[in-house]
Amino acid sequence: MLKILKSFSKRMLRGLFRKRESIKIGFYGPPNAGKTSLANRICKDWTGEDIGLVSKVPHETRHVQFKEKVEIKHKGKTLVLKLIDTPGIATKIDYEEFLKFGIKRNEAKRRAKEATQGIIESIQWLDDMDAVVIVLDASENPYSQVNITIIGNLVARKIPVLIVANKIDLKKAEVDKVASAFPDYEIVGISAKEGTNLDEFYEALFRLAKKI
Amino acid sequence: MPYKCIHCSEIYEDGSKEILTGCNKCKSKFFFYIKKEKLQEILANKNKAPELSAEEKDQIEQDVREMVGLEEDSETPVFLDFESVRVIKPGKYLLDLTKLFSMNKLRIYQLEDGKYIVDLSNKGESE
Repeated sequence: MLKILKSFSKRMLRGLFRKRESIKIGFYGPPNAGKTSLANRICKDWTGEDIGLVSKVPHETRHVQFKEKVEIKHKGKTLVLKLIDTPGIATKIDYEEFLKFGIKRNEAKRRAKEATQGIIESIQWLDDMDAVVIVLDASENPYSQVNITIIGNLVARKIPVLIVANKIDLKKAEVDKVASAFPDYEIVGISAKEGTNLDEFYEALFRLAKKI
Repeated sequence: MPYKCIHCSEIYEDGSKEILTGCNKCKSKFFFYIKKEKLQEILANKNKAPELSAEEKDQIEQDVREMVGLEEDSETPVFLDFESVRVIKPGKYLLDLTKLFSMNKLRIYQLEDGKYIVDLSNKGESE
């Protein structure tokens, strides 16, 4: 009986404490999946400011960037987040990929180095996260080493996960394929670019916060 | 009238004994006939390298890789030896995510064959 009371009061206290403190939510995923686009949309909606630059060139985000105290109000509920946008995780970085976008050779090499550092930085931040939103490009094959490694490691660290299948505005997008690749996780199909299905995303975000 | 061996492309003048006995190089007895003027044209262009732009060269490489199934696929898993990051050349890196995610492994960078840097500042915690 004493044990039950003790754990109840502990949970109550933790619950009260959590309401005041912001939850650290990291945006992870492969490059060009739309992590910054989604983070920008959330920040813009609730703080009026962007978090970072978005580009068609992969590895545009090469450093971890964050926004403190993003207060999300949805259907009478409030969630305060520290939103952490991370560089895209990849297994290969090749400066020649950047040359195709008209970036000069030396600049491309510098970019490749920063992108590699960015990946290491992203992984180092993982332990600080309370929960993670994995942003995937729904038009790409979900069964990649990057996706599976990220998700597998979050499970091992017992970090709650929400998977976002982004870019549903694209014809090639297949949310079902993402869902069947990761059947144990909640998947929300959205378009960060066009703002489609964001209500469902916010609902899922509140559910994710409850799992912490 | 010249003949060309269909196997090794060796060219023989009309009336050469090889047309009957077989190609000197590959012993093949299959030849095809080329008009004299065409042969001169072919020989004139033999050592002339085509002028290609960087984009055309890239496209050719990409096409050939696709044809022979050597397409550089970003989905090909990367598993390195014991290093976590391999620098292939400036601006080209391979990352072993399993090792980078592992909390109790030091980060090791391979600079070239037999040359490594161990990042001691990142002494891993036990899992």
